[in-house]
Amino acid sequence: MRRSVQELFEEYQNSLYAAAFNVCRNVEDAKDVVQDTFIQYYSLKKEFDSEQHLRAWLLRVAINKAKNMNRTFWRRNKRSLEDYMETLVFESHQSEELFETVMELPEKYRIVIHLFYYEDYSVHEIGDILKISDSNVKVRLSRGRSLLKEKLREEWDDDE
Amino acid sequence: MTNKEKYKQAFSALHPPGDISVEVERMAIMSRKAKFRTAAAVAAACLAVVFGGGMAYAADVGGIQRTVQLWMNGEMTNAEFIFDGEGNYRISYPQEDGSEGELGGGGVAFDEDGNERPLTESEILEELNSPDVVYEDDGTVWVYYYDQKIEITDRFEDGICYVEVSKDGETLYMTVKYNGGYAVSPHKYESPKCFNN
Repeated sequence: MRRSVQELFEEYQNSLYAAAFNVCRNVEDAKDVVQDTFIQYYSLKKEFDSEQHLRAWLLRVAINKAKNMNRTFWRRNKRSLEDYMETLVFESHQSEELFETVMELPEKYRIVIHLFYYEDYSVHEIGDILKISDSNVKVRLSRGRSLLKEKLREEWDDDE
Repeated sequence: MTNKEKYKQAFSALHPPGDISVEVERMAIMSRKAKFRTAAAVAAACLAVVFGGGMAYAADVGGIQRTVQLWMNGEMTNAEFIFDGEGNYRISYPQEDGSEGELGGGGVAFDEDGNERPLTESEILEELNSPDVVYEDDGTVWVYYYDQKIEITDRFEDGICYVEVSKDGETLYMTVKYNGGYAVSPHKYESPKCFNN
């Protein structure tokens, strides 16, 4: 199956941007990642088995591209995360604190946490997207949760 | 509120900037066109190259130097080519006036999953021999492709010129905008609306 870029853009731009931002922690890079991901979709002419397959592929590409951005030695002058945070409008102080705390996590925990809590993916699906084992996902998820709990205390429930 | 609800609420504050373009067809062409071509030789320290993502490489690359034959403006030229094995290259070549021209850059390619890899030496050499459009000081406009030199000065209609070039049985279709860049495709003439609008 294939869908038009315009349709996909409407549906997934927020999701891809959030995932890219989660990895890059930078507006400009996350924006580039979203555009590059749609360019890749357009250029590749890849057929997908299902909507789930397509969504997972878009997220995988966006996350990989965001990681590439972090690895490159060329970094433009960027607005700091702190400056950008000031422009965001949070529904509550708790939301702001949670966002800030997630952004302080190491990248490998951050993205697993994001795919689980934001994208509602299962451990197995996250492993498939990130190309890591289920046990590795579980470890990262567990450590990420522990760090969140440690910093957020009662604001973050104990869950599995 | 569950953790998932809290998380989603927190991240709902994130919104993509409004200027993300969905004109991906145009961007795809632009990214192909942005390859390595620069106007004439660039002796500057570095050259920013975009190949799908934003990257820049220093021209002063370390690596193995060897002589290669490149087509520069329709002429086969012996150039000193240095490739560092990580997608970066530098070329020096003799110019008509006896001085030495330099050209440097680099590039990356992306696999199906978006993983980045440096271009190989052969990919870089292939890119360097892709068609080019040159605007001469005397006002003429030329397309160079390997040993082919095609004057297209009078072939523009409403600022657009369509040129077909071939090499070893493979045809490339070029859409050239006067002083506005060009797009190359092995399949069809790209619409002028698709790039540099």
